[in-house]
Amino acid sequence: MLVRHSRRPAATGLAAALTVILAACGGTSSTTPTSSEHGGTATTRSVPSASAPSNPGNSPSGSADGSLAPIAGGVSQVKLTLDGNSCTLDHRAATAGPITFTVTNISAAGLTEIELLQDQRIVGEKENLAPGLGSVSFTATLDGGTYVMYCPGADQENQDFTVTGAAPTRGPSDVRALLADGTKGYGQFVETTLTDMTVAVDNLKTAVDSGNVSDARAKYALARPFYEKVESDVAGFVLPGSDPSDNHGNLDYLIDMRASNLDPAVGWTGFHAIERDLWDGSGKITAQTKKYAADLQTNVTKLVQLARTLDYQPEDLANGAAGLLEEVQNNKIKGEEEAFSHTDLADFNANVEGARQAFAFLKPGLAEIDPTLTATVAEKFDAVRAALNPYRDATQPGGFTLWTAELRASDAATLSKTVQALQDPLSKIAEKVATA
Amino acid sequence: MSQSPDAASSASDREAAGGAGHSVSRRRFLIGSAGAAAAGAVVGAGATRLADPGAPAESGTSSGASTPVGVSGGTGSSSPDLVDLATRVPFYDQPHPPGIITAPQRHAAYMSFDMLPGTTARDLQVLLARWTAAIAQLTAGKPIGQVQPTRADAVGLDTGEALGLEPASLTITVGLGPSLFDKRFGLAGKRPILLRPLPAMPSGGALQAAVSDGDLSIQACADDPQVTYHAVRNLARMVRDTAQTRWTVMGFGRASAGAGQQTPRNLLGFKDGTRNIVTDADRAKFVWIDDGSWMSGGSYQVVRKIEMHIEVWDADRVSDQENVFGRTKSEGAPLGGEKEFETPDFTRKTADGAPVIDPTAHIALAAHENNNGVKILRRSYNYTDGIGQYGQLDAGLLFIAYLNDPAHFVTLQSLLGARDLLNEYITHIGSGLFAVPPTPATGHYIGEALFS
Repeated sequence: MLVRHSRRPAATGLAAALTVILAACGGTSSTTPTSSEHGGTATTRSVPSASAPSNPGNSPSGSADGSLAPIAGGVSQVKLTLDGNSCTLDHRAATAGPITFTVTNISAAGLTEIELLQDQRIVGEKENLAPGLGSVSFTATLDGGTYVMYCPGADQENQDFTVTGAAPTRGPSDVRALLADGTKGYGQFVETTLTDMTVAVDNLKTAVDSGNVSDARAKYALARPFYEKVESDVAGFVLPGSDPSDNHGNLDYLIDMRASNLDPAVGWTGFHAIERDLWDGSGKITAQTKKYAADLQTNVTKLVQLARTLDYQPEDLANGAAGLLEEVQNNKIKGEEEAFSHTDLADFNANVEGARQAFAFLKPGLAEIDPTLTATVAEKFDAVRAALNPYRDATQPGGFTLWTAELRASDAATLSKTVQALQDPLSKIAEKVATA
Repeated sequence: MSQSPDAASSASDREAAGGAGHSVSRRRFLIGSAGAAAAGAVVGAGATRLADPGAPAESGTSSGASTPVGVSGGTGSSSPDLVDLATRVPFYDQPHPPGIITAPQRHAAYMSFDMLPGTTARDLQVLLARWTAAIAQLTAGKPIGQVQPTRADAVGLDTGEALGLEPASLTITVGLGPSLFDKRFGLAGKRPILLRPLPAMPSGGALQAAVSDGDLSIQACADDPQVTYHAVRNLARMVRDTAQTRWTVMGFGRASAGAGQQTPRNLLGFKDGTRNIVTDADRAKFVWIDDGSWMSGGSYQVVRKIEMHIEVWDADRVSDQENVFGRTKSEGAPLGGEKEFETPDFTRKTADGAPVIDPTAHIALAAHENNNGVKILRRSYNYTDGIGQYGQLDAGLLFIAYLNDPAHFVTLQSLLGARDLLNEYITHIGSGLFAVPPTPATGHYIGEALFS
């Protein structure tokens, strides 16, 4: 797919505002896993006071007790029970401070998750709820205000939950600041990658101009990973002033088009036209190859200039990472990306690395929101990297075994399934960080 | 929210059972060949897919206000194959798992899974609990979660292609493979007593690992193929970080009869399952596990992917085909007899002294009379995988059998694999044995006893 970003070129004023926010919210927060009574994982985090009233359309639950939740060991105790198709709080009010929500799914086959929201932000949640699994709990330190317990699919999906008073000590947590830090860091990663790509494409052009096929092949393989790492961030770029529907101005097309999706109106140029010349048959550098390399250098330079104007929302990182994994599944696994050089696994590795970087920058904030999902995604990234390790081969261009038809026939399904196990949990990140 | 599960399952139950006030216009019917002439003449609001009258699992949908198939006009009698896509098969609180003695639906999707490396017993527990909850939703004709997320940037919990479709008698039968009880999850002590990998048996060719075995399996059957595929797709998707798919087969036509159903035909054009198990007594004796263990009430499932040599078979004269099966082609009568349900006479000789039914004919070797009384419940489906690498139609039978002792299958297949005249035309290419745990009570999940 073409990843549709909410990213936009940053206006000067916006960038300045971001700096101020970061300066004001420089604290860190902690996530404290503790074990709950029934084997579930409990997490603790603090949220600042409510900044806006809750959804005015929510009616109070008829069955919940309006009295304040009892306090045990300094922590308010609230029970949430899923039964049939109902989602029932035993108390719908509590004193400000730490509050533990214990969730039990008695028989609600259609209810699998609950979230505690503050002005549409998730301040606590539990997933993988199913009848028979026992109780799980989470603890949040809440300041006074009105919150919403959200039970997707329940008869009453939204129920108000009121916290009275002020928390004795406000936690330093600010998930949004952590995520903003992450997007800033990711922007720097993209910047560095693009700068490196410029150098690598310069080197490729020099090698092509020299006429040395062997050297040009090596430089081609060295230049490819940079684009593959950040492809989902830059794939939508068109040259300023050009028609978005016309491939003449589509930079991704001009840089990365493959034989399988050529637009006859534009013809072939870019990386893969060079790849064909270098690998098809015994490989040959012609005047046309040199023209491709020069055009590539020009287009990459334009791309880098445009990319420098980007800033990122947290969900851009998540959607971009998902987009890179789609690239792996759609093109690299099938050996369609590098049809002549068969260096697909180097691209595969770069796509995964780019996705891993995006995830790593989201991780501090995401861990506050959903530590379980964070751990799962981290573990699945490790599994994908481990699955790629046996294919590392420093003697080949790009540093990986050539992804030949024979190797694909025997190994592609296993590698693809390892990526699938990462794709699904990763696809759940965007909504978490977008609503934080 | 439009995609919320129905508020009251009890109301939905009544609805599916054709209760008063149910809108006729929502009903859709599928008519079998015998009833095709009457297809335009269906009347009445309560037509219900005929369920196996002997199957308790069906009682919830065949009771109440539901009425038998109604036809009018003089074009024919009611069809045993009339199905009502609104029919729901109850899931929780049943004496036995669904999809075993449930009258075979028209379509099946079978999929096997392997737990991912590094997963834990807790991961397996969560998988089984979430699958169970999702199965309860799916068999009730509901999505497993939001199709249209309320929140921006969210992926849907359900993929949506079954929205607007009826439950179509969907049943989902979960199997546990022998490999699940190895060292990985610490479950060796809970291994169903007779769950061991099937031994090597003569089968006409080498079984392929890529279409055999698995830690877990799902048999989804319904009268609408999109309903079956939606079910396995979503069950696979929801656990993708825990288990990976291993192999799958889409079955497009039932090839075994349940009680009260016409005997369907396999792709060799012969009736299959004429002598299938249909009585409660035989079910108790041959199908249900009753050993006092946590598996009591469940069963063992044998699955074999059997490739048919279609072109070779099609070029064989019908008289020889009949000799191979031991039955006539059109009627399905045992050779020497006239009607399908006559008991085969394996002792009968022709005038020149040769047996009328060849002793190595398929029905002779498979007959309980010739196997110490052993019977197995068959619940097979026809499948096709397109065109094979040698340019031949790639199709066959997804043989599925339920039995309380896998040795019964081993006995039969050892005999059939070595001597069956049919072996010239078939090759077993896939195989699996799974334990099907008893069905959970409301508030519980499949295989919960493994973790207690």
